Amino acid sequence: MLKWYNQTTENMAKRWVECSTILLLCCTVALFAKCNDVPDKTKQQLAPVPPAYQVYTVEIKGMKFVPDTITVKKGDEVVFVNRDMVAHCVTEEKSKAWTSGPLPEDSAYLLVAKESADYFCAIHKVMKGRIVVK
Amino acid sequence: MKKKIFTRFAACAALAFACFTMLSTTAQAQSPKLTDPEIASVAVTANQVDIDNAKLAEKKSKNADVIEFAKLMATDHQSVIDKAVALVTKLGVTPKDNVLSKKLNADAAKTRKSLSEKKGAAFDKAYIDNEVAYHKAVIGVVENVLITQAQNAELKDLLVKVMPTFRAHLAHAEMVQSNYGKHGKKMGGM
Repeated sequence: MLKWYNQTTENMAKRWVECSTILLLCCTVALFAKCNDVPDKTKQQLAPVPPAYQVYTVEIKGMKFVPDTITVKKGDEVVFVNRDMVAHCVTEEKSKAWTSGPLPEDSAYLLVAKESADYFCAIHKVMKGRIVVK
Repeated sequence: MKKKIFTRFAACAALAFACFTMLSTTAQAQSPKLTDPEIASVAVTANQVDIDNAKLAEKKSKNADVIEFAKLMATDHQSVIDKAVALVTKLGVTPKDNVLSKKLNADAAKTRKSLSEKKGAAFDKAYIDNEVAYHKAVIGVVENVLITQAQNAELKDLLVKVMPTFRAHLAHAEMVQSNYGKHGKKMGGM
């Protein structure tokens, strides 16, 4: 410490230049790094924000579920629309965990997909479909 | 055992073929050409016959599968009739009796008489067997006669739209028929 106080003005000036150079270098590096960061940030801002959930439609027509297999994510919505002249329903097949009840012509049922399920029309038992939740 | 099954299968196939040939020959020989009002009459009659058979089954059967199937036939065929009536009303067409609709009614009267005389499991079996045969025959008539001869595009469309329903009914009737055999209930001779 004492040594430092005893330094000559010339030495102090030298040290000042040294310090300034280091500081300037640091600033340049920091600025350069920041500049490099900018394009990445822009990319992030431009990337599409994924929607909370998607809505899928399954048509019931010609005594079939169309499409008969649908792959969705948990929380997605599946709308079943009956286009046949006879009433149908959509019912979970294994344990009847959920059912739409009778759906007359041109009516619809909305299901929030929670887990994969085989379903069928409990009215016309030969009509079957599947929801795969990924 | 295998031989017996094969013989039964052959007998069933022969019977089904005979029924189909009879009906299609009737259609071709006796009514080579149907007008739209006649086609409408055949369509309504064919559905009404199945509703009447279903009502009989609902009264006579005690088998849950048979009753459920019969109720479905009554509901679905009524929906088809309602559509057909709405369409002919819109088109200003009055359904007209003809050889084919009269033949359907005459055959149905015989079938119902025969069904009425049966009871319990014998009735159930006869009803379901008839449903399988009847749907096959009607599918043939709608496809080969009514659709090909219909002049009005909307009438043709309705007939085309009805086909999958009849096919699903046939598959459903065959399912009830096969369950019937599996449960070890009396199948009777063919």
